[in-house]
Amino acid sequence: MPRFLHTADWQIGRQYSRFAEEDASILADARFTVIERLATLATEQSVDAVLVAGDVFDAQTVSDRTIHRTFQAMAGFTGPWLLLSGNHDAALAESVWARAQRLGAVPDNVDLLLEPKVREYPEQGFAVLPAPLTQRQTYDDLTEWFDRAETPEGLLRIGLAHGSVEGQLAEEIDSTNPIAADRAATAGLDYLALGDWHGFKAINARTVYSGTPEQERFKDNGAGQALIVDIDQPGAEPRVQPHATGEFTWIKHQSTLAVASDMDRLMSELDALLPRSVVDLTLDGEVDLAGYQSLQQYLSAAEARHRSFQTHLSGLNLMPTEEDIAALHADGYVGEVIDELGERQEGESEDADTARQALAILAGMLRETEQPEGAQ
Amino acid sequence: MKLTRLHLEQLKQFRQPLEITDLTDGINLFVGPNESGKSTLVRAIRAAFFERYKSSSVDDLQPWGDTSATPEIELEFDWQGEHWTLNKRFLGKKRCDLKVGSQHFSGEEAEEKLAEMLGYQFASRGASKAEHWGIPGLLWVEQGAVQDIQGPVNHAGEHLQSALGQSLGEVASSGGDELIAQVEKARAELLTSTGKETKDYKKVQDDYRQSQERLDALNQSVEQYRQQVDQLGKLMEQKQSIDATRPWEDQRRKAEAAQSQLTEVQRWQSEQQQEQQALENCRQSQAVYRQQLSDFENQQHQLAQRTADKNKAEERLQECQARRPQLEQRQKQAQAAYEQARTRLTQARQQAERARLQQEVDQLAERQQTRADNLKQAIELQQTLQKGREQLQSTEIDPKALDRLKQTDRKLAELTIQQKALATRLSYELEAGKEITVGTDTVTGEGETLLLDATDVTIPGVGRLRVQPGGTDVADLQRRQDALESERAGLLRQLNIASLTEGEQRAAEHQRLAQQVERDQALLDNLAPKGVDTLRAAFELDRTRLETLNEQLAQKPDAQADAPPAENAEAELETATTELKLAEDALTNHQREQSLAEQASASAKAEWDKLNTELQAPDRKAREQQISDQLTDLKAQERKLLAAIDARQTQIDAAQPELLEQDVERFTTSAQAMEAQARDRERDIRILHARLEEQGAQGLEEKRDEEQQKNQRLQQRRDELARRAKALDLLLTLLKDKRQALTRQLQAPLQKHLNHYLKLLFPQAHLSVDEHLMPTTLTRPQGTGEEQGDLPSLSYGAREQMGLISRLAYADLLREAGKPTLIILDDALVHSDAERLDQMKRILFDAARRHQILLFSCHPENWRDLGATPRDLQGLKITDTGG
Repeated sequence: MPRFLHTADWQIGRQYSRFAEEDASILADARFTVIERLATLATEQSVDAVLVAGDVFDAQTVSDRTIHRTFQAMAGFTGPWLLLSGNHDAALAESVWARAQRLGAVPDNVDLLLEPKVREYPEQGFAVLPAPLTQRQTYDDLTEWFDRAETPEGLLRIGLAHGSVEGQLAEEIDSTNPIAADRAATAGLDYLALGDWHGFKAINARTVYSGTPEQERFKDNGAGQALIVDIDQPGAEPRVQPHATGEFTWIKHQSTLAVASDMDRLMSELDALLPRSVVDLTLDGEVDLAGYQSLQQYLSAAEARHRSFQTHLSGLNLMPTEEDIAALHADGYVGEVIDELGERQEGESEDADTARQALAILAGMLRETEQPEGAQ
Repeated sequence: MKLTRLHLEQLKQFRQPLEITDLTDGINLFVGPNESGKSTLVRAIRAAFFERYKSSSVDDLQPWGDTSATPEIELEFDWQGEHWTLNKRFLGKKRCDLKVGSQHFSGEEAEEKLAEMLGYQFASRGASKAEHWGIPGLLWVEQGAVQDIQGPVNHAGEHLQSALGQSLGEVASSGGDELIAQVEKARAELLTSTGKETKDYKKVQDDYRQSQERLDALNQSVEQYRQQVDQLGKLMEQKQSIDATRPWEDQRRKAEAAQSQLTEVQRWQSEQQQEQQALENCRQSQAVYRQQLSDFENQQHQLAQRTADKNKAEERLQECQARRPQLEQRQKQAQAAYEQARTRLTQARQQAERARLQQEVDQLAERQQTRADNLKQAIELQQTLQKGREQLQSTEIDPKALDRLKQTDRKLAELTIQQKALATRLSYELEAGKEITVGTDTVTGEGETLLLDATDVTIPGVGRLRVQPGGTDVADLQRRQDALESERAGLLRQLNIASLTEGEQRAAEHQRLAQQVERDQALLDNLAPKGVDTLRAAFELDRTRLETLNEQLAQKPDAQADAPPAENAEAELETATTELKLAEDALTNHQREQSLAEQASASAKAEWDKLNTELQAPDRKAREQQISDQLTDLKAQERKLLAAIDARQTQIDAAQPELLEQDVERFTTSAQAMEAQARDRERDIRILHARLEEQGAQGLEEKRDEEQQKNQRLQQRRDELARRAKALDLLLTLLKDKRQALTRQLQAPLQKHLNHYLKLLFPQAHLSVDEHLMPTTLTRPQGTGEEQGDLPSLSYGAREQMGLISRLAYADLLREAGKPTLIILDDALVHSDAERLDQMKRILFDAARRHQILLFSCHPENWRDLGATPRDLQGLKITDTGG
């Protein structure tokens, strides 16, 4: 009764330019540590093999150190690791794989599936039919040969491929590297382990995307898991069980502020987020100066709670009220300036953005001037 | 503010204390001539306020020459319901005291309090200057400076703004200026005053740009790397699909096949060439044989020709030989003619010689005859001459004696004449038939006679008359006549003649004889120039010569009658010689011609013989036959060869040797190219492999991603700063604009006050004020339109008036803002005409209802109707000195 750990899209070497430097390096590091957790999981679950369905590396020319670190992170599981080349790490004439082999970084228990040839694992009771990418992208279905490939009687037929299942995934996934949706059926596969789609997705009972084990996009699609797959015998329906493996949750939050109570609602929503997440917050609508001030205070506290907390407030207009102006002692022509900036910030133009920023600066300066006086 | 008392001590010309009290509200007019102390008073008030009491730059305040003096000023004034007393001493005993009601301030504190109240500042060092004077600088006008308004308004600007700002109440912002300063500071961190980026901001931009450059470079490297990987993949694929099958071997085989085919064709071509050569040879042989046959035929024709030639040559020879006798005959004749001509010439010459001799003989004979005659004549002449000479001798007479005789004779004659002249002349005209006797002579008729001596005239019938000639010389004359008569007789004797006439005849005979001798001698000389003897000798010589010649002539042959003249004989000989030469030449020519003709004839005969012999050769026929047979054989051979060549050419053409050659070349080249390509590919693969291995180790994409990360952060930072800079810029602009708009609101009240005064001077005129509260343009009605003029463009007088009006308007404005206003005018309006001055006085009077004005003038008459009591400074001084 073979058991597998199905994972894919490790994307080792990915950099996160949108984050602050410290956050980015921690997130990049997380891509290595998840391998260690996968190894631990594999050992815990006593799997017969780990199937990695492509895009182990994010790029061909990662540093030697990255290559070494990747393979070293697998040490926690001594069973066979079956690594397929994907579109990011295609088995080109010269590739990250060739380099890894030259470097002698590849341990014995790691099998690199770089050629479309059946490989048998009689001890573990399965044969694998890999469809490695040997070009960055192709418009041919590389799994097509599975239909004609023969494997010894009694061994499970496990397909391993990287690409887009036709007609199944959203349009935004490029339609290169296509895979026929019924390949498992036509090729008589017991299980077709797929990679490329970063979320967990079962196309059918035997055709499944595991998703990436560590999230790296703001997409709530079941990323950050690995699959434990049990297949009792050839022909038996596989039992697929997702296991959370990710360290960080990536959350994209969008909210519109219109009335005063919206601020409270927003705060309670943000409070509910998993701590240490990677948060991306976009706010629009409008807020008065007092509300803006308390929002700022809240957001800086929230920033401390999370791994990364990015805010986009360009859609949020500051609407100073009479009370604001009075509270800031913005009398005389300063009051007029506040009014004018308030009017100018309307709209999406760059000038509006400048006016908004100017208003925020002005409010900040007035508040700072106020505070020492209040303290007296 | 009202100044009430003024006290000076030891100040400039006021060595003694000066006290001015009872200063009133409104105008206080101080008059006095120049140097009476007006300006000193003004200087004192200014010093009291503007100069630091500690200042050492105020020694001008001391009386002249008194360096130990302590100039002292004490001022008293009322302000805001309190009485202020200011006492200030300079230089000697420096001190400053200010009493305000019950409060007391001293030193700098007192000074600062006054500065703040009046709105001016102190010089940080040295004497106070115009830029420190603030509001008082505007209201306290120095001599001749009232027209200059711009400087004072600028210097007062800040104080004006802050003084007037307070009057704006609700529109001003309490923290506005502070906020502007804050925004300016924040902006200055990013932008310079001119809107350029600051160093820090610029660095962020530069960092970003540099990062972008690095990123671009890395991207390019990554792209290159990828291309190389693709290239490698392609090469390996090609190596697998193309080179593995060794396609060049197939090409080689094809090339070999084509080559062997080509070799066969080339063998044919070689054979073809040989046969073509054979054909060529065959054709050449035919030509040779044909030529031979043709030659045979030609020889027959030649023989005929040569026969004709031979005959012709013989003919010519004979012709030549026939002509010979004729020519020889001619030569003989010419020879004979020549000989004859020569004989005749000899004869002619002899004849000529003889003729010459004869002629000579004749001539000599003739001369001989002549000479004989001459000789005879000469001998005769010689005899005649001898006789002549003898005669000549006999007739000779002394010519001198004869000459003397002649003279004596003449003298005698002359004496006779003299006697006659002395004689008495007796003229007579007698009647016919009557006669008289004179002396001895009887006379008749008429006549005349001379009477030398006493003569008796006897007239018949009458008697005798004696006539006695008068004079004394008659006797003398008679004596001289006697002397001469005797000389004459001696001479006649000497000459042996009877009379003079005889002597003269003999002399003439002698001369004739002399001439005769001379003539005869000339004749003789002519006949025998060298003497008769010589003539005779020559005659003898000729005679001998003649005899010799006659002998020669006798020896010569006799003269022939037909002998030609020598010249003709010579010409005849010449003609004969020429003829002989021609004849000889003709013979020589003929001789040559004949030998040529003989030679030609011989050679023509030899030619003919030769050819004839040849033609008559016994094997000639056989040879001709043989050649003809051979020609036939050759023709057959040619036909055979042509057929063979045609057939082979068809074969060669069909095989297309050019194409075969091309095939060989093509297949060979292809094979080489394929092999080279395979080698190149192999090499490229090796190189690319090595290069990619090397580059892969650099972790290019990882580096690129890192740079990307850095770049994005820098971009964010840059964008944030840009946004902030723009926002701050906007904020600052807005704040300043709003504030400025506010300032403009201050213009209105100033304008109001200006117009208040202006309408007194120029009804309906308007003086505009800019945002810095500076009066700028005067607009006056002019005819139907308006006249506009900037202040500096107005006349001096008008500028002065506008300056004063402006200052009064500021004073009004300050008063409304609750600020102290004291106006001091030192000799103002001196350039205004009477009419304007009147109006200005109304204006001043009006202003004086709101402000205290101290007016100093050296023209008291100008200000009598100002409505103020003038104080005479000189009077004051005297008063004080006295008191």
